[in-house]
Parts: sequence; structure tokens; C-alpha cells
Amino acid sequence: MSNSTARAMSDAAAPARAVSQAASAAGVMSDAPPARESVLQRRTSLADLLDLPTFTELVKGFVDLYKVGVKVFDESGTKLADFRVGNGDFCSYVFAFADGRSRCTATVARVKEGPLAAMQGARAPQVEEGAFPGMIAVPCFTGLRYLVMPIQWEGDLLGRIIFGPFTPDDLRELPASLTNIGNGFDVANAEALMSKIRRAPESTVAKVMAHFGQLVETLVAAGHKTHLTSQLHIEATLETNRELEEQNRRLEAMNSRLKELDRLKSSFLATVSHELRTPLTSIMGYSEMLSQGLAGPLNDEQSEYVQTILDKSETLLKLIGSILDISQIEAGKVRLTFEPVDVADVIRSSLSSVAPQAQKKNILLQLRVPERHTRATADREKLRQTVVNLLANAVKFTAERGKVAVALTETAFQPELNAEGYRISVEDTGIGIPAEHQDKIFQSFYQVDSSSTREFGGAGLGLAIVRSFVEGHGGRVWAESEVGEGSRFTAVLPTVPPAPRSVEISPPARSQPDKQRF
Amino acid sequence: MLLYKDSRSSPLLRRSVVSLAGSQVPLQLNQAQRELTVKVVYYGPGLSGKTTNLQMIHDRLRPESRGRLLTVETRDDRTLFFDLLPVFFNTAGGYRVKVKLFTVPGQVIHNATRRVVLQGADAVAFVASSERSATADNNAYWKNLHDDMRENGLDPNEVPVVIQFNKRDLPDTKTDAEIEETRQRGTEPIIGAVAVRCDGVLETFFAVLQGAYRNMEGRSQVSKQLDLDEQTFLSQIFSRIDLGGTHLDGKLTLDSPPTTIRSLKETQ
Repeated sequence: MSNSTARAMSDAAAPARAVSQAASAAGVMSDAPPARESVLQRRTSLADLLDLPTFTELVKGFVDLYKVGVKVFDESGTKLADFRVGNGDFCSYVFAFADGRSRCTATVARVKEGPLAAMQGARAPQVEEGAFPGMIAVPCFTGLRYLVMPIQWEGDLLGRIIFGPFTPDDLRELPASLTNIGNGFDVANAEALMSKIRRAPESTVAKVMAHFGQLVETLVAAGHKTHLTSQLHIEATLETNRELEEQNRRLEAMNSRLKELDRLKSSFLATVSHELRTPLTSIMGYSEMLSQGLAGPLNDEQSEYVQTILDKSETLLKLIGSILDISQIEAGKVRLTFEPVDVADVIRSSLSSVAPQAQKKNILLQLRVPERHTRATADREKLRQTVVNLLANAVKFTAERGKVAVALTETAFQPELNAEGYRISVEDTGIGIPAEHQDKIFQSFYQVDSSSTREFGGAGLGLAIVRSFVEGHGGRVWAESEVGEGSRFTAVLPTVPPAPRSVEISPPARSQPDKQRF
Repeated sequence: MLLYKDSRSSPLLRRSVVSLAGSQVPLQLNQAQRELTVKVVYYGPGLSGKTTNLQMIHDRLRPESRGRLLTVETRDDRTLFFDLLPVFFNTAGGYRVKVKLFTVPGQVIHNATRRVVLQGADAVAFVASSERSATADNNAYWKNLHDDMRENGLDPNEVPVVIQFNKRDLPDTKTDAEIEETRQRGTEPIIGAVAVRCDGVLETFFAVLQGAYRNMEGRSQVSKQLDLDEQTFLSQIFSRIDLGGTHLDGKLTLDSPPTTIRSLKETQ
């Protein structure tokens, strides 16, 4: 991990600290939760903006070229670069004297921390032409000299650059402030050591320094851009992340609420249909007693009326039964119990229960079963109801004198299931199902014709139950149809269901109203 | 078309009075460093001219009072991240005031960046294109602005917004009458502009800074804390801007800051 990345990450990880610092520094406290603080609000330091290894290279290159020492400090006085040229021996010699040490320390402090203004021993640089705003010259008591210049960005002081010490070319002899630092000061030695220090006119050093300042400014500008970009990238990513998490939370909450509502609905339906069934059986029982003449003989008209009550009650009972079935499926309460069955027997028994309706409409019922018995493992009652529902559906949508045929195949490999199984198909000569409805008719409460004036009654649950039961057996069911010609429903079921004892049936997909209808 | 007549009836002023009641966002005032940072965000749909506004302000500001115009990541003349232009001055009381102007990236995908940039804004300039075809975009970003403010804990009723109808020179733009209708529908000052010619740019800048000042004053009494009144605040900045050819020219002195901003059409 690079330095700058590490810094970027630690900065991003500590927004709380930045906020509290900002808040206390601002002196304006409020009880409101602290706003998330962005890099755009924070003050940046020179170290944030400069890539230190690159910067160090630049300074070193400069020092090698111009043979003058360069130091760079940030605003808080932290040293970012320090290269000396030639002055080491001279300064060590001077520093060995007590007075030299104290004067040296004072000079260094002035250069490093003193005001960047022509005061406290500093003056404007002596230049032949041009002006260098902010630059000051600080003479050393040794006769050497420093030039100091601010690093500014957006009007803020970010740090300072120090050039020197250099020997100004106007220095003729060592000043008394140096020669009097102590007994034993060796002028000749000092002069020899000083000659190793770069001698140059102050105006030349000032020009070089100004040029260096421009380079630093360019680096700071580039660094500022990189710093803000990387920081803001992180912030934007965190922000996006936060947003996504929020959305997830909302969706989860909504999802569990919907599940709860769905469960409540199913349980309500189950209860209500049960409660409806009880009085309905009484109605049917008493009607039957009436029709059997247990309460005295009925005339023809009375018999007919009572028979109508019985018929309608029967229809209502079936409807309630379907609602109860689907609500139990949706509430996850239905379990299949598998046993060995002869499928042809199941189909024959189913046929007998739809025979009366078929007879009423003069519909021909056909049965084709293979010669060999089709034996399978299944839930007998659920399988029967599956076939009954398919047959009832076919009879309902087939006009008078039409035909409904049910066929069973022998057990054989079924590619749809990738297993051995059998097919039950129910074919009619009814009104057919438009193509766009064919995959939706297995959804609960779905009606091809959902208008209030529709011709065919029913709750739209029969096929949903079929699908749940067939899928509960590990099978598949689908419809093929041609409008006006008829429909064929095919259920393909495995000879042995995947979970042989019993399975929980998952509820069928709900009918979804189309969002955009135009 | 008169945009607003004088500051006493300005919606910005009414706002700041209301906002005295509940101030949440602390002023970016650093007492230790004696520095106040004012944040102004130029918000709006892509290609509406936000960056152009900043470029024009940059070009007309005296170099010693502004930083570089930092444009972070652009491609095909479009801002991918944001622009930043700092403007600064010192008050007589020794405070340093830094006004940071930001633009947000206009493209839809940069929603998170827009929100980050908008954090802690003292005022917003909403740059809309006057083109008829831009109406849907303008509406979408207007809604986006309010969503972003709320997400950032800013009350859209308290952060002053100035609307700039840019690109008045293009064909098939909204008429003055239609813009007047837009103005009637809300309380925000509306300024017509052709940003590429700097028409309306400084007027927008003036209005949004005025809004920012009043917002800060309402929240935290800047005038007392910094001994800086609105006239001084505005003239400190606008005396450093070349106002030639704008409606602010000659109207702005320390004694009499402009209290009237008119649309371009009226004086042309």
C-alpha cells in the first residue's frame, strides 16, 4: 500500500475526529447531530498535498544544481525536506563556542519560526529587478545569509522554504558578531571553512528561490487535485454504499411486512372458509331432508326449488373447498402423503365425479389408459383432485355436445423431468386460451376474462391448486391451446417423487396486475 | 421583468428571519485561525453551464483574491467530479473569509458525488438551461437537489437557492413570460443569463452570496461574531471583480450596494 493510499484511508476512517475538532475549533456548538464532514470542508496540510518522495527528489536536484542548502517546513513546523551543502563544518565549528551556540540557535529559530515579514532582524531581499512578494532575507551573525519564502495556497500559509546559508558576495570580512564569540576563535580556520559554502549574490539566490517557489506551487496544485480526487472518490463510494445499505434495509422491512400480510391473509381465508362450510352443510342437509319429503310431501315446483338450493349449495361448497385448499397451500399447511397408486384407477374415479356436469352439457367424456397398469408413488387424494380440477375446467369451458378426453401414458423416461414418469393429458374442444394468458392461468385468482360480465364462473383457483399439487409431486404442468379449437393440459409426473415420504408444497405464484397497461 | 425589487422584500431575507428559530448546521467559523469559510454550490443538470459560471467569475477576479480554478477530472468538456474556485479576503477585524465555489457533476450517474459536494452548503445557485427541451431535466434535478439537501441534513426551506436561467441566447428557449410564470410558482430569485458571455453570471454570484450571508447571519449572527455586515461582505468581494458590462457596474460601492437586480432583457 502506498503512502498516499494509507493516508487517504486513515483520513476517511476518522471523520468523527475531524468533525469534533472542527466543532470545538469553531466554537459554535449545537445539539444537532454532527454533519458528516467532507474533505472539501477540511483544511489540507502541505504533507497532504505533496508526494514526499517526489518532492524530496526535486529538492535534492535543486540542491545539487545550485549548491545551496534548502529546507522546507510545513505550517506546524514539521520538516519535509532538509539538504545542506558545504556549511556543516563551518557551523559545527561556530557551534562549539557557547556564544556561537546561543546565537546560532536564535538565528535558526528566527529563520524557521519567525514571522514572514521584514521585522525581527529580517528585511526584504536585495534584488536588482522585480519583486518577490513574501520573501525575506535573514542575515546570520556569522555574515552568512538565509532567504525565507512562504508556501501559499488559496491564500493560506501552508509552510515555508528556506534557502541557505549562503555567503553573500558582498561579505568582505568576517563580522565582529562572529569573531567575538569566544576566546580561541581562529579567524583563518573559520575563513577556510566558510570558503566551502556557496558564495553568490543575494539577488541571484532570490531568483533561484522564486523559481523553486513556482515549482513547489505547481506540485501543490497537482497534489491538491489528486488529494481532493482520491478523498472524494472514497467519500462518494462510502456515500453510495450507505445509500445501498439503506435501500436494502427498506426492502427487507417491506419484504417481511409483505410476508406477514400474506400469512395473515391465508390464515384469514382458511378460518373464514372453514366457518362458511359449517353452516353451509346444515343448509344442504336440511334441503336434502326437505327434498326427500321428510317434512311432508313437496309439489313439483317446491321440489325443483329445493333441488336448485342443493345445486347452488354444492357449487358454493366446492368454491369454499378450493379457497380452503389454496389458503392452506399458501399458509404452508398442506403435506403430501405418498403411497403406491394405480394412476388409471385415480383417473377413473375423477371421471365419475365430473360425469354429472358433462352429462348436463351433453359432453362426451373419453378415457384412454394403457393396457399395462401405470403404477406410481403419489398422494392419491391430491392426484385425484388434480385430475378432477383439470377435467372440471375442461368441462366448464367446453360448449354443449363438445368432447373432453383424458389420456394416461405408460411409465417411461420423461425428458422434462429427466426421470421416469407418466403423463396425464386432458384435451377439450372448448373456447381455448389466448397465447398471452397461457402462462398466467396457473396463478391464484387469475381469470382470462376478468370482466364482471364474464360467462364462466369460478374463483380462479382450480389450476393454481393443480400446479401446486403437480409440483409437489416433482412434476410439471402446462397448457397448449388454440383459441376456438380447444386446449390440452398436460401434467407430467415422476413415477417416484423426489422426496418419497411427504413434501411441503410451495404456494403458487400470485397473479400480478400489470404495472404499465398502455 | 423585475426580478426582485429591494432587499427588504427579498425572499432570501424572509428566509433568514425564519431560520433564526432553528439553526442546525454550524457556521464554518474557525475562531482559532480566525477564518470563516462560506460554501456556495452551483447545482443543476449536465451541460447547463455550471463550470462556465465559475470560469467567468475566475476570469474577472483579481488574481490575489482567488485561488486556481481547480477542475477535477473532466472528459469531453464535461465535469466528472467537481470544480472548485476559492475566493478570499481579510476583514478589518482580522478575520479571513474564504468563499469556496463548487460545481457538482451534472450527469445522472454521479449522484453520490453531488451529495458529498453539497454537504454544508450555505447557498446554492441552481443553473438551469432555458431550452424548452431541458424542462424535464430541470425538474428532475430540482427534485434531486431537495432530496440531496434533506439527505445531508440541510433544510431546503432554509438554504437559499438562486435560480439562473442560462442560455437565454439559444433558439427555442422559454420566453420571459414563461420564466416569469416559473418565478411566480416559487420564492427563489430568478436571473436570466448567457454564461458564455458572462451575462448574468456576476448577478447570480451576487444574489447567491447575498443569500449565503443572510443564511449565516440568521444561523449564527456573523455580523456580530466577525464584525462583518452584509454590505461589507459583498463589497469586499465585488470590489475585487471586474464588473464592466454587468448590471452591477457602478452600483456597488461600500456605501450603496445594489438592492435591485434586473433581468438582462430590461436593460438591453
